[in-house]
Amino acid sequence: MNARAPRPNNVVTQSLAQIGLCGLFLLTLLGAIPRSFRYLRETVRQLWFVGAMSLTIIMVCGLFVGMVLMLQLYHVLSIFGGTSASGMVVALSVYRELGPVVTALLFAGRAGTAVTAEIGLMRATDQISAMEMMAVDPVAYVATPRFLAGLIAMPLLCCVFCAMAIFGGHLVGVTWLGIDNGTFWSNMTAQVDVHTDIVNGVLLKSLAFGAVVSLIAVFQGFTTPPTSEGVAYATTRTVVASSIAILALDFVLTAFLM
Amino acid sequence: MTQPVRSPPDDATLVRIRGLTTVLNGKTIFDALDLDIPRGRITSIMGPSGTGKTTLLKHITGQMHADEGSIHVDGRNVAELSREELYKLREGVGYLFQNSALLTDFDVFENVAFPLRQHTKLPEALIRNLVLMKLQAVGLRGAARLMPNELSGGMARRVALARAIVFDPQLILYDEPFVGLDPVALNQVLKLILTLNQTLGITSVLVSHELAAVQQIADHVVLLAKGKVVAQGDPKTIADDGSPWTRQFFGGEADGPIPFRYPAGDYATELGFAGATK
Repeated sequence: MNARAPRPNNVVTQSLAQIGLCGLFLLTLLGAIPRSFRYLRETVRQLWFVGAMSLTIIMVCGLFVGMVLMLQLYHVLSIFGGTSASGMVVALSVYRELGPVVTALLFAGRAGTAVTAEIGLMRATDQISAMEMMAVDPVAYVATPRFLAGLIAMPLLCCVFCAMAIFGGHLVGVTWLGIDNGTFWSNMTAQVDVHTDIVNGVLLKSLAFGAVVSLIAVFQGFTTPPTSEGVAYATTRTVVASSIAILALDFVLTAFLM
Repeated sequence: MTQPVRSPPDDATLVRIRGLTTVLNGKTIFDALDLDIPRGRITSIMGPSGTGKTTLLKHITGQMHADEGSIHVDGRNVAELSREELYKLREGVGYLFQNSALLTDFDVFENVAFPLRQHTKLPEALIRNLVLMKLQAVGLRGAARLMPNELSGGMARRVALARAIVFDPQLILYDEPFVGLDPVALNQVLKLILTLNQTLGITSVLVSHELAAVQQIADHVVLLAKGKVVAQGDPKTIADDGSPWTRQFFGGEADGPIPFRYPAGDYATELGFAGATK
């Protein structure tokens, strides 16, 4: 951000300074949203890159998470004769925790790093400066569309992940292990609450995670030193910072929403 | 809304720099630099590497701000402009980056069309014709649908040049425009810069080391060294003005007032031969 700001020399103050700069960057980003409406096509393009292009990994991972969860639950619940509840437990686990958290972690690894690397390389090759020189605001043209795309894509990807996980659980539980199909669905629909589990669990959490991951990815890209080493470090920082932020935020949100 | 502070009207000078002082990482880049860039002329800024020629262009366009001093472009103090005013100023300034800085997501045509699409509501047919005219001027109309990664370094610079002139700006800043160009392309780019200057009256500022090329088109040459203007004048005669600065720079000599070697400790000591000399 400000190249002339004195650089703190210990890890704690450096981290606090980064968080502070990230907060200021968020304000700049939010301030640029009205200006970015004229770049709607760019936002849609980014939605394709961060959303549609992440679908494969989200679907495959969702399927396997649901399958392994059902397998584990079936063996544990069979000790107590409660295998009929396994579909319901899979659904609650996925909606409340695993869906938003795992989707966000995958999103940070797939889309977050791509956004950071792309913006970092744009800085390294003077493309951001060229936009400035052509009187095009790079925050409104580059940063905000990517931030908004992440914000929109995350809840949608989370819904896909949850659907695939339930499908995976059904595949293992009903098709393979022989749980009754009617019991599987009826227990699930009886216990899953739309407000608590879907709105608060899936939508609200994934929206918050989408905002955090997108902010970190865009911020790291914009503030990385314009060198190949700088871009490499920035992509690593995106994954590390996003993962920590997702898990910490998940705890805070769960504590408030329960 | 407050009006930007304007310098006294001076039609002959487009860029007026006074007392420019910049210190970066403890190194003085400019030391109370004074410089006038005449309107409608081609001015070449020369100087040894690392002397701050590109930094000077960044100051003129408001990409960097000085520690002291002022830069007035067309009467407006760049440091005092708001973001909107600065962007308005930049719409009238073309800038050719040292490394071309083409947008890698777009093909050649869209790169040149980018400023037009962002700042005008011209019909698509007119944008197409304008872009093709600029690409024809740099000899790359046939490359309109190539992506930046399919271009050679010289071609990329010519596309960047077409983009810089697409608005016919009042001021164009060329940062090393001749690097990587073959003799044919170099000659055409020289002609293009000259034509833009003579037909449209565009003020051009060239940062270049190519004295032979500069001598063909520049009206005025400025030699920067040690943060100051050490010589300036007519390109045909500046090399022979007799000052030690121009003699060393244009003569390519290692010894003289322009330091060739970066400051360092004693050579023999660093090699471990200090004792052998005793």
